[in-house]
Amino acid sequence: MDGNGLIRTPSGVTFRVIRLRFSKTGRAKFISHLDLNRTMTRALRRAKLPIWYTEGFNKHPYLTFASPLSLGYEGLAECMDIRLVEDRPMDEVLAALNAAMPEGLLFTHAAEAVCKPADLAAATWRMTVGCSLAEIEAFLAQSSITAEKRTKKKTFKTVELKPLLGDVQAEAGEEQTVLTLTLPCSNSDTVNPSLILTALQHFLDREVTASVLRLCLRDTAGEVYR
Amino acid sequence: MTYQLDDMLLRVQKPGRYAGGELNSVVKDPANVAIRFAFCFPDLYEVGMSHLGMKILYSQFNSVEDIWCERVFAPDLDMEAEMKANGVRLFGLESRDPIDTFDFIGFTLQYEMSYPALLHMLDLAGLPLRADARDERFPLVVAGGPCACNPEPLADFIDIFFLGEGEEVDLEVMNLYRRMKQDGTYNKVAFLRKAAQIEGVYVPSLYDVTYHEDGTLAAVTPRDGAPARVKKRIIRDLDTVFYPASFVVPYIDIVHDRAVSEIFRGCIRGCRFCQAGFIYRPVREKSPEIIDRQSHALCESTGYEEFSLASLSTSDYTRLEDLLERLLQWTEKEQTNISLPSLRVDGFSEELANKLNVLRRSGLTFAPEAGTQRLRDVINKNLTEEEILTTAGKAFSGGWTSVKLYFMNGLPCERDEDIVGIADLAQKVVDTYFATPNRTHGKNGVNVSVSVSCFVPKPHTPFQWEPQDTMEELERKQRLLVESVHSKKISLSWHEAQVSFLEAVLARGDRRLGAALEEGFRRGFNLDSWSEHFSLEGWLAVLADCGLDPAFYANRRRDYDEVLPWDHLDYGVTKSFLMRENELAKAASTTPNCREKCAGCGAACWQEGVCVNGR
Repeated sequence: MDGNGLIRTPSGVTFRVIRLRFSKTGRAKFISHLDLNRTMTRALRRAKLPIWYTEGFNKHPYLTFASPLSLGYEGLAECMDIRLVEDRPMDEVLAALNAAMPEGLLFTHAAEAVCKPADLAAATWRMTVGCSLAEIEAFLAQSSITAEKRTKKKTFKTVELKPLLGDVQAEAGEEQTVLTLTLPCSNSDTVNPSLILTALQHFLDREVTASVLRLCLRDTAGEVYR
Repeated sequence: MTYQLDDMLLRVQKPGRYAGGELNSVVKDPANVAIRFAFCFPDLYEVGMSHLGMKILYSQFNSVEDIWCERVFAPDLDMEAEMKANGVRLFGLESRDPIDTFDFIGFTLQYEMSYPALLHMLDLAGLPLRADARDERFPLVVAGGPCACNPEPLADFIDIFFLGEGEEVDLEVMNLYRRMKQDGTYNKVAFLRKAAQIEGVYVPSLYDVTYHEDGTLAAVTPRDGAPARVKKRIIRDLDTVFYPASFVVPYIDIVHDRAVSEIFRGCIRGCRFCQAGFIYRPVREKSPEIIDRQSHALCESTGYEEFSLASLSTSDYTRLEDLLERLLQWTEKEQTNISLPSLRVDGFSEELANKLNVLRRSGLTFAPEAGTQRLRDVINKNLTEEEILTTAGKAFSGGWTSVKLYFMNGLPCERDEDIVGIADLAQKVVDTYFATPNRTHGKNGVNVSVSVSCFVPKPHTPFQWEPQDTMEELERKQRLLVESVHSKKISLSWHEAQVSFLEAVLARGDRRLGAALEEGFRRGFNLDSWSEHFSLEGWLAVLADCGLDPAFYANRRRDYDEVLPWDHLDYGVTKSFLMRENELAKAASTTPNCREKCAGCGAACWQEGVCVNGR
């Protein structure tokens, strides 16, 4: 980087990394991570932005996501990085992208990337679960909350969730309880809300419905990842 | 509904199939819509979403302000179970409304093995299967597509079949419906009678079928003023016919995930086994400038990084170089790939071939269909061994190491030497590789993959009277082929004779098969085009229980004077022409293509395309 945020490739092309924030809600929650990649590639092509294409045998627009979102979860401030070889006003970038997006995907913010991927540390979630506030309080009051987590080696290990849960807010809804909580989300350590749900179902000994929304991603200082 | 559906979707494989909301899908306000149309493809989303005809008609219907057309696909077994368990009826992907509240349910019939899925979809929609059990409270059920050229096995279930190309006739039927609803004269019986007067509309309930004692047809007699013969529809001018400016862009990976531009309809070749080569006549081309403009618009509205030129034989487009020069003007700049299916590589200048990277895109594929020149002459497949070997040689010296060859077995007049000929031809391709001085020495050298399907005689072709080989004979020939291959460089694959057998029964079936389809549905047979779901034993039991002999339909030679179940459906190509072609086949004598010399097939009755202007 040359201090202005410009990066030069070995072949001499310069580009800037632009971090886009987008929401993925409603029907778009059924787009898997792999499919989202394809969907976004096509969105970039429709928007005719001056994006940097990889220089290999199969040229394709380069894009990276900060953290994949599980199929069925919604997100309000998901992050995707693209590389622009020419400068464009950020409001133009947003308008071009949003001119033709499928239902449930909307770009909300565009700016040059500040945080490095290694700065990503946590995610704040809202879980709407089908049980009472009292049940949640009893669940959280346990001295230990554990769940089985699949490791990369495809074995299972038991994770102690209790110290990772931090400050959980729980609010009673009509038939559900709304939890807001921040969980680790980084390269080395990630806790998926599904682990909490599994532990809750185990505790209550019944199936519990849940809808899950990722509110934002956070850096090591707890600030919004940008 | 939405909450419940979302819950279900989280429990099934690939929920993107059922979620809807894809880019360019059309949502309208039901309050402002007069006609709601459920366009159903009786197979999985990945297959149906790849189909061009559906994209065209979906967009065209929706271009009419008061028509709302939605897409519906066959749910996979897990979703079907969820729907039944939760009492959710089959719904349109756009509105998620159950389709039994729509005005029309329309199916496209692309292959016979999708018929069981069609019945499952009707049932999941909450409709009685049989057309005569559905009164005005239910939507009208219509169907079109290539299999409508002999729709008799489905005659009990469908109210209206559309013959030929749909762009005009579909809207004419919608207009009649709208008019009768508005002036208060609509009832189902009156509507069907009036619709039958529109060219290209076949109302099966207006035809009585009688049989001889030996099971063959005695007569098909129209009632209530329906025409004795129903003529298919064609679009006269492809330059002015509707073409979509955008496609629905799916989230999940589908079979053909790209933009598509149609370059012509019909085929000049007249390969005698090929139904498409006859039922889509005459050949009519679209102009390069129109194709170029429509292709560019499609890529811009979808963001697709690839588009494909669609036709039955790309190389036969008379202005291909002109078209490609135009396309390359923008595709290179915009990093868009052009895919050229069914292309003869040998016809290209080297420069253009390099620009298009033709081989990298499509690989090297030939469809000789038969193993010897004699049998290729029988089927009128105009491709010589020399052409194959020359092109393969060029490709090998250009760095290529793999070739695909497509064949059929069980063709009429086939002898064992023709089967051995398949192995010989493949061996010659291998030998060509080793005889190429500057070949690439890949890890495994050359690979020739040979794929063999079983011949299925189809209506409206010169082979419509021919028996299909029995399954035992087809399997014997497959074994003979395996024994005839002596090189590890040749890999063999073939289609199951069992599926082809049932396909042959349905392809030339009559109305009596409706009872078997219904019984098969009751016994739970579904998605039979997927071999893992297919059970021949099950279907044989059904046919036997319905008193039907599958060999009567599949393995019996018909006389020229027998009344065929599709004789009252007129596709322009005359029966006398097909007889002539059948006789020429027996003499292993070829027929020139439409541009070389008119064979007098009958399609000139439309006075369009190749019949009048050579293209």
